[in-house]
Amino acid sequence: MATATVHAGGIADHVHPEPQGFVRKYIFSIDHKIIGVQYLITGFVFLVLAGLLAEVIRVQLMHANGGFVSADTYNEVYSIHGSAMVWLVIIPLATGAFGNFVFPLQIGARDVAFPWLNMVSFWLFPPAGLLLFGSFLLGAPAAGWTEYPPMSLQGAPGTSMWCAAIFLVGVSSTMTGLNFLVTLIKMRAPGMTFTRMPLFCWAQFATAPMSMIATTALAAALAALFMERQFGVPFFDPTKGGSPVLWQHMFWFYSHPAVYIMILPVFGIISEVFPTFARKPIFGYKMIAFSSVSIALLSFMVWAHHMFTSGLAPFLQLPFMILTMLIAIPTGIKIFSWVATLWEGKIHYTTAMLFAIGFIATFTFGGITGVFLSAVPFDLHAHGTYFIVAHLHYVLVGGSLMGLISGVYYWYPKMTGRLMNDKLGHWTFWLFFIGFNGTFLPMHMLGLLGMPRRVAVYDPQFQTWNQVESIFSFVMTFALLLFFANMLWSLRNGKKAGSNPWGARTLEWQLPSPPHYYNFKHIPTVFSTPYDFAEPLPYAGLEEELTDSPGPAPAVAH
Amino acid sequence: MENRDPVVHLDRNFWIVTAVFAVLSAISVWYFGTFDIVKLLPESAAPAGDIDALTRFLLMSSGPLFVFVIGYLLYFTIAYRIRKSDPPDAIGTQVHDSHSLELWWTVIPTIFVVIMAIFSVKIWYNIEVAQPTNGIAVESIGHQWYYTFRYPNVHGEIPNEMHLEVGVPVTLHVTSSDVIHSFWVPTMRIKADMVPGLINTLHFTPLNPGTYKIICTEFCGTLHGDMEKQTVVIEDHAHFTAWYNGWVAKTKNVSDAIATTSAGAVPLAGGSASAGQATFATKCSACHKIAPFDQKVVGPGLKGILDDPKHPNLVDGQKATPENVAAILQHGYKGDMGAMPDMTANGLSNKDIANLVEFLKNQK
Repeated sequence: MATATVHAGGIADHVHPEPQGFVRKYIFSIDHKIIGVQYLITGFVFLVLAGLLAEVIRVQLMHANGGFVSADTYNEVYSIHGSAMVWLVIIPLATGAFGNFVFPLQIGARDVAFPWLNMVSFWLFPPAGLLLFGSFLLGAPAAGWTEYPPMSLQGAPGTSMWCAAIFLVGVSSTMTGLNFLVTLIKMRAPGMTFTRMPLFCWAQFATAPMSMIATTALAAALAALFMERQFGVPFFDPTKGGSPVLWQHMFWFYSHPAVYIMILPVFGIISEVFPTFARKPIFGYKMIAFSSVSIALLSFMVWAHHMFTSGLAPFLQLPFMILTMLIAIPTGIKIFSWVATLWEGKIHYTTAMLFAIGFIATFTFGGITGVFLSAVPFDLHAHGTYFIVAHLHYVLVGGSLMGLISGVYYWYPKMTGRLMNDKLGHWTFWLFFIGFNGTFLPMHMLGLLGMPRRVAVYDPQFQTWNQVESIFSFVMTFALLLFFANMLWSLRNGKKAGSNPWGARTLEWQLPSPPHYYNFKHIPTVFSTPYDFAEPLPYAGLEEELTDSPGPAPAVAH
Repeated sequence: MENRDPVVHLDRNFWIVTAVFAVLSAISVWYFGTFDIVKLLPESAAPAGDIDALTRFLLMSSGPLFVFVIGYLLYFTIAYRIRKSDPPDAIGTQVHDSHSLELWWTVIPTIFVVIMAIFSVKIWYNIEVAQPTNGIAVESIGHQWYYTFRYPNVHGEIPNEMHLEVGVPVTLHVTSSDVIHSFWVPTMRIKADMVPGLINTLHFTPLNPGTYKIICTEFCGTLHGDMEKQTVVIEDHAHFTAWYNGWVAKTKNVSDAIATTSAGAVPLAGGSASAGQATFATKCSACHKIAPFDQKVVGPGLKGILDDPKHPNLVDGQKATPENVAAILQHGYKGDMGAMPDMTANGLSNKDIANLVEFLKNQK
C-alpha cells in the first residue's frame, strides 16, 4: 500500500475499535460525527421551543393592548426566546453541530483532538437547555437575554437558573473551542497546509479562539450575578456600591464576539456551498480566510458600541464607533467575493444554494443597518427600539439561521446517506424568505418612529404594521415546519445520496455517506486547494474509501 | 496561481446591467437625499436636524451599495444558471481572484467608512462636546414606571410634564431611583439611559412648540411598555415662565428631600367619587380593572372591593374597610399578589386617596 506509508505512525492512525452497544454508539459517543448529529438534533428541538415562544410574542403584539398573555408572562417569554435562540440554537448549531461533523472530515482527521472532552461538551448542553426552559416553573428571567441588573437582581428565582444554564453552555462552548483549535492546528492530513484548508475550516479556526476567550468573560459575569442574587455579594447593585454598567461591559465583552461566533461558521458554510453549486473556485480564497481572522480580532474591540447610551465617557464612544465601522470592510470583502464567485459559474438551483443566495441578500441588509448603528448619533436615536430588533434578526435569522438551514440541506446527505426533498425545499425557501422579510422589514420603520423594544403593549398607531408582521411570521413558522417535516420524511424516504451527490470537492464528499467510524481507511495526502473544478481532485490515498476493503486495524483494546 | 486562470472578459450584458444599476443607484441617492424625514417624525429640538442629516447620508451611501450587491447577486444567479443545453458536469470559468478588483472593493468601502466616520464625529462633537454654557439645567428621574423632573429653585419633584422654553439650551441630567430606564424623545432623536447611581447628560435646544412623548427604551419591569404616557411641553417664553414660576411658588415650603410616604392615616372625609374616577383612570387603570376580584390585569379586579361577599378579606388578609383600602393606597403592597407602589411613587395626594376610596365604595 503505497499511500499508507506516507504517514505511517503519528496519532492519526491510532484507531480504537468501534463501540458496539447502543449507548456507547449513539448516546455517550465519542465519535465527532455522532456528536455533531446530537448537537444538530438537540439544537433543533430547542429551535422548535424557542420558535413557539416567538409566536407567543407575535400573537401578543397583534393588538396594541396585548392581552394574549399578561405583561409579566410576555417579559418571560421574550427573555427565554432570545436566550434560547442565541445559546441553545445558533451557537450550538454553528459550532457544535456543523463544526463537529464537518471540519474533521475536511482536514482529513479521524476525530477531534480530545474526543472525550467533546462528549463532555455535548452532554453539558441538554441539561443547560432543560435548566433554561425549566426556569418557567420557578418564574423565568424577565429582563431580556441581556439580563441587565438591577432588573435581573429583582427577577424571579428562575433568573438564577438562567445564570446556571448559560454558565453550563459557556463551559461547553469554551471546551469545544479549545478542542477545535487544537484539532485544526495539530491534526490536518499531510499536505493540508493552512492555505489549502477548505474555508469552512478557516471559519472554525477563527471562531474557536473567540469561543475560548470571550466565553470566560461571560462566565465571570454570570458567576457574579449568581452570587449577588443568591448570597448578596454586591457587584452590580448601586445601593450597595456596585455598578450596573459593570455587568454591561462584562456581558458585551462576551456577547459581541458571540455575534461573530454565530456568524463566522455560517460564512464558512456559504463559502462551501457557493463554489460547489457554482462549479467555480471560491473567488479570493485568501481574502475570505484573512477577513474571517480580522473580523475575529476586531470583534474583541467593539463591545461598547452596545452601550452608547449607557453613560460611557463621551470620548470613549469614538474608538468604539470607528472600530465598529472598520468591521464593515472585511465583511464587505466577503460579500463581494461571494457575489463574484457566482460570476460565469454554472449555478445549480439546489435548496442549499437558494438559502445561501438568500443569506447574502438578508445579511447584506442586516450588515448595512449595522453600519448605521455604529454611528453614535444615529444610535442615540435607534438604540433600544424595534430598529435594533429588526437589525439583529436580519443578521441572526436572515443571516445565521438561513445559512445553517443551507448547511443542513448541503450536509444532510453526508450525515444520513439520503437527500432531502428538493421540491419541498424550494417551497420552504420561498415561504421562509418572504415570511422573514415581511416579519422584520417593517420593524426598522416602527423603531425609528418611536416603538421601543421589549414592550407587552404599545402605541396603537403601530398596530396595523404589527399585525402585518405577525401574519408574515406565521408564514415563516410554517416554512420551518416544512423544513422539519422534510428532514424527518427524508430520513426514510429520501433519495439515496451516494458518496458525492453534489459533485463537491472537499474531502468529506470523497467518503461514503455516512462515513465510517474511523472516517478514513487511510489518511489522505493533500496537494492543493479543493476548489479547482478543472483539475483532478488534489488528494492521494483515497482509492479504497469507496471499496469494500477493510478499514484500519484497530489498536489492541486496553 | 493567477497564471493558470483564464482571461476575464466582461461581456456586453454585464455592462448593460451595470448601467442599469448605476441609474438605480442614482435614483436611490436622489430619493434618499431629498427624503423628508420630518414628514414621518417631526423635529422638536436640535440636534434632531443634525442626526437626520446623518441618517440621510447613511441612506444615500447604502442605497447604491445595496443596489449593486443585490443586483449583481440576482443577475449572476439568473444569467449563469446551468441550462438544459449544458452538459451536467459543466463547470464555470475557473477564475480564482483578481487583485485589482479586490483592491477596489477594499479601497472604496474604506473611503466610505472614513467619510462616514468624519461626518459622525462632527455631529457627535456637537452633541457631546460643544455644550452650551448658558441655558437651563434640568434633571429627570426615572421611576417604575414614570418620570419626575427637577428644576432650579423648584423644591421636590415635578410629576407628569416637563416644560421647556423654545430656543433656550437645555442641559438634562438623568438618573433613576430604582432600575435602569431610558429617556428618549423621538422627536429630539436622542436618548440617555437612566442608570441608578450614575448621572447621564443630554444637551439639546428646544425648537418647535408642541407636546412630545417621552419613551422608556430600557426594559424596566412589568409596565415598561406603558412608560410612554408623559410628555415634554415646548412653549414660548411667557407660557414657560408662568408654568415655572407657578411651580416655584407652589413648592416654596416643600422639602427638597425626595418625598416619602406620610406617616399618619389619611383622612377620608369629603372624598369625591367623580374626582376619584378621574384619578383611577390615570393612576390605577393600567393595573386594575373594575371587574371581579379574580380578573387580574397586574393587580386584582376591584369591583365591589369593599362589598364583595366572595372576597371578604383584602390581599393582606384584613377585612376590607375604607381605612384598610386607604392604607394600601398610602403604603403600597408587596406580597403574593405582586407589588403595588406607594402613594409617593404613584404621585397620589391625601385628597386623591380619599377620592379613590369614595369611588371604590360606589363600585358594587
